[in-house]
Amino acid sequence: MQVYIVLMTLAVVVGTLFDVVHKGSAKFFARRREKSEAAAQRRLSGGETVSLAIATIAEAAVSGEFCKWPRRISHLLMMYGFFLYLVTTVVMIFAYPAGAPTPTILPTLWTIGALMILVGGLWFFFFLRVNVAYDGASPFHLGRADLFIGFLLASIAFALLWHFVQTGYQSPTANRILFGIYILFTTLLFVSVPWSKFAHMFFKPAVAFQRRVEEANGSSDLPSPSTENTIVRS
Amino acid sequence: MPTYTDMSRCDGCGECVDICPSDIMHIDPVYRRSYNIEPNFCWECYSCVKACPQNAIDVRGYADFAPLGHKVRVLREPEKGVISWKIRYRDGRLKEFTFPIRTTPWGSIKAPSDYEQPDLSALGSPMLAHEPTALHIDALPTLQKKA
Repeated sequence: MQVYIVLMTLAVVVGTLFDVVHKGSAKFFARRREKSEAAAQRRLSGGETVSLAIATIAEAAVSGEFCKWPRRISHLLMMYGFFLYLVTTVVMIFAYPAGAPTPTILPTLWTIGALMILVGGLWFFFFLRVNVAYDGASPFHLGRADLFIGFLLASIAFALLWHFVQTGYQSPTANRILFGIYILFTTLLFVSVPWSKFAHMFFKPAVAFQRRVEEANGSSDLPSPSTENTIVRS
Repeated sequence: MPTYTDMSRCDGCGECVDICPSDIMHIDPVYRRSYNIEPNFCWECYSCVKACPQNAIDVRGYADFAPLGHKVRVLREPEKGVISWKIRYRDGRLKEFTFPIRTTPWGSIKAPSDYEQPDLSALGSPMLAHEPTALHIDALPTLQKKA
């Protein structure tokens, strides 16, 4: 399983790099950065750039880019659930290999993380997806845009099913079948990075940072936020 | 070629889909981001441009009146009641304008359905609907004959 974790990590790295090269994302960001530097009205210092980076991370940490609270909450549930699930999985596999006694807190946190992903993910999938909420698509519609969320939900659902069967029922057959399906969907989740929206978790913070830099150095073609407030009469 | 969405900035919120009067802003099935499905039908009304919370939508003006190399961007700030425009001429000149959207708080204006249903006898009155209250006066002025 340790080898599996390493392979899946490599799959994400290779998949993201392939995505970057194939879509030309690196060239796009580099070209945008050159235009921004050419049109900049002032140069940013190293300290200012670092503080913009910290502000970007802080905004991403609270999913501040979402204007609507249901999307924001569902994204926070999925994001922190995923972090919790991932970290506890890696700790359990590397620090407590098969047969070693595991502190109860770890599988508890693992289950909480998985449940957070399931709740946030199902809410998003059936009610909040923009093509469902705004474009009239059926809540059961599946398209290429749903590769990431689909495989994630399937992986987590079978992870929880396998966990409950393993801890509650003495059925080695069911245990093996559910574990197999869980691993299948987990593998599909991590190897489909070049085709799914997985890599957005790296691209969106890069875009958010670039936007902040453009606003700070004066190269943004958007108007400056207004200092006036015309709502004066009550 | 009218509106287009910068998919790296769009977060797929659906505001432009909701507001487009031509019903041509829709969601791309591969990336789940917005795009203009029929640029020929675009009125360039700027509704989607103003509505986008991420300012991800821009307009390419038709070349017969908007020269190449120009840029027109808008920033709507409803909490301040203002809308700002930044125009970049192709010779590099910049002009910025700010206009009020409103001067009263959002939701403070009564909807037509919040008014009391008028009495049919009002048909015989010379006053128009909601007068004189809607004019912020106590009574309509009248002509007085000189004695």
